[in-house]
Amino acid sequence: MKSRLLIAVIALLGIFIFGGVFYTVDETEQVVITQFGKPVGDPITDPGLQVKLPFIQNANVFPKTLLEWNGDPGQIPTQDKTFIYVETFARWRIKDPLKYYETVYNEIAAQKKLDDILDSATFNFISSHHLVEAVRNSNRLLEEEVIASAGLAESVQEQISIKLGRVGMNRGIMEQAKPKLEKFGIEIIDLRIKRINYVDEVQKKVYERMIAERKQISEKFRSEGKGESKKIEGERGKELQRINSEAYRQAQEIKGKADGEAARIYAGAYNKDPEFYSFLKTLDAYRKTIGKDSSVVLSTKSDFFKYLKGYEEKQ
Amino acid sequence: MPWQNNSGRQPPPWANMELTAEQLTKQLKSMLGKGFSGIWLIVIVLAGLWGISCFYTIQPGEAGVVQRFGKFVRITGPGLNLKLPAGLETLTKVRVQYIYTEEFGIRTIQAGVDTEYSSSREYLNESLMLTGDLNCAVVPWIVQFRLADPYKYLFKVRDVKKTLRDLSEAVMRQVVGDRSINEVITERLEIATAVKVELQKAVNEADTGITIVTVELKRATVPDPVQPSFNEVNQSLQEKERMIYEAREAYNKVVPEASGEAQRVLREAEGYALERINQAKGDAARFLSLWTEYANAKDVTRRRLYLEAMQDVLPKLGKTYIIDPEQGGLLPLLNLGEKLAEEKKP
Repeated sequence: MKSRLLIAVIALLGIFIFGGVFYTVDETEQVVITQFGKPVGDPITDPGLQVKLPFIQNANVFPKTLLEWNGDPGQIPTQDKTFIYVETFARWRIKDPLKYYETVYNEIAAQKKLDDILDSATFNFISSHHLVEAVRNSNRLLEEEVIASAGLAESVQEQISIKLGRVGMNRGIMEQAKPKLEKFGIEIIDLRIKRINYVDEVQKKVYERMIAERKQISEKFRSEGKGESKKIEGERGKELQRINSEAYRQAQEIKGKADGEAARIYAGAYNKDPEFYSFLKTLDAYRKTIGKDSSVVLSTKSDFFKYLKGYEEKQ
Repeated sequence: MPWQNNSGRQPPPWANMELTAEQLTKQLKSMLGKGFSGIWLIVIVLAGLWGISCFYTIQPGEAGVVQRFGKFVRITGPGLNLKLPAGLETLTKVRVQYIYTEEFGIRTIQAGVDTEYSSSREYLNESLMLTGDLNCAVVPWIVQFRLADPYKYLFKVRDVKKTLRDLSEAVMRQVVGDRSINEVITERLEIATAVKVELQKAVNEADTGITIVTVELKRATVPDPVQPSFNEVNQSLQEKERMIYEAREAYNKVVPEASGEAQRVLREAEGYALERINQAKGDAARFLSLWTEYANAKDVTRRRLYLEAMQDVLPKLGKTYIIDPEQGGLLPLLNLGEKLAEEKKP
């Protein structure tokens, strides 16, 4: 009798343990109980040890945490006809595991649904907006005086008036997709554009534009250098002429004054007896002007040679 | 204490292990003696091992997260801790103090004194981004973070690392997308600060339990094909400065010299003026002195002066012809000049 009881107890334990009466729900999990494939009761979201009917009931475990999704809608033309690659990612969770169980069943199918809905929402949004809307986030003024002064990027600047910006765009895509995902029991928490890149051909053109832009700036610097250098050169010429001419003027003034002063002094002295002055000066002039090359014909009547003919006083 | 109930006849788990072993063998012998089967031995050993799983150590800087039947019950700090044995309570250790690093656009190959990085070209898809002026920039960066809240880290998000990477890339592009290429290249620190703030917000919203420690931009450049033209801008800037300096050099070479030269000319003029005036004064004084004496003895002085002058002049003359008008002809009588010149020569 005792052993029969023991066997009964062990069998019961066996059923409990291996038949699946007990099951645990992890902090990160939620469970839908199904009976012959049909959901029974509310989903179990409280973690801990739980009980169900063995054999006929089945525990379907779904994650309760935030799940990841990566989108790749591929090549998208923006409204301004620029082809770009966009990569997005989203975080979502199973909000209604019952619906989720009924409509998508597993995560592979869920990811597919997300791909379909989010990628097309992204495509729609990107293609109906300008590229800058997806790149920029505000109307913050960019520091681009260099480029602006080079006369470029103005065309970009003009049409910028960011209405949505990247954050608004993210939200817009999410809002568009949200109701569509609700019927799958999926709640989308956050969607963000991760990467935006030009397609290769556009990329090449953008690089070319960037290079041209820089070249222009380089040339500007160079010609500024040349201009500045010419300016200094001109300055130098002017300065030289100013200095030289001023020096000349002052020198002439000084000399002129001195000449005048000298003339005044001479006149003051020589006016005492102009006749005597001219006599003296003439004699001096003889001394200076008459030389070896000069020949003179003098008469014996001259004052100097008059004694050659006799010593008596003549007058 | 709950585990006493569970382990029943087991000796308390904190008892000396040797003692436990001794007791076990003793019990075993007595049991065998009483005719119990060997199954009990296995049961007891298994129970002992099960009991050991009650102990665990948490290292400094770690946190132990305990779940009972999957349900979170508590977080324990460093040291020796107790929990219900395996199957009832499970433990997950999280390094809450450790600073983790995620790299974007670069990878550290070998950390060390001279840390090696792999070429950023391989991870260009991570670092290539559009700037606000629709140019392309290459911005590699790193994010350092701690798993500050182990509860959120373990239970709220399935793949925290991937979430962090995605958010980090999105936030970095969002911040760079609002700046011009020049700003991206020059204002790395500001961008890093802005990204840190935004990223912390984003990871908080995502319930990741992460605390961002630092965001650091490694080097912000432009894509390789564009790089030469950017270098050219720098070069041309240097060139501009060089040209200006050269022009200034040429200026400085001549202008001060010219100023000096001007001063020289002025001094010379002043010298001339002094000379001229002094000469005039001297001449005037000499004339006046002479004139004073001349006024006293006019005739004699006049004669003297005349004769002295003739005395000076005549020897220098080439030829002097003296004519006597009374002779009526113009024949030269005497060649005074030649003779005098010959006398003078030797």
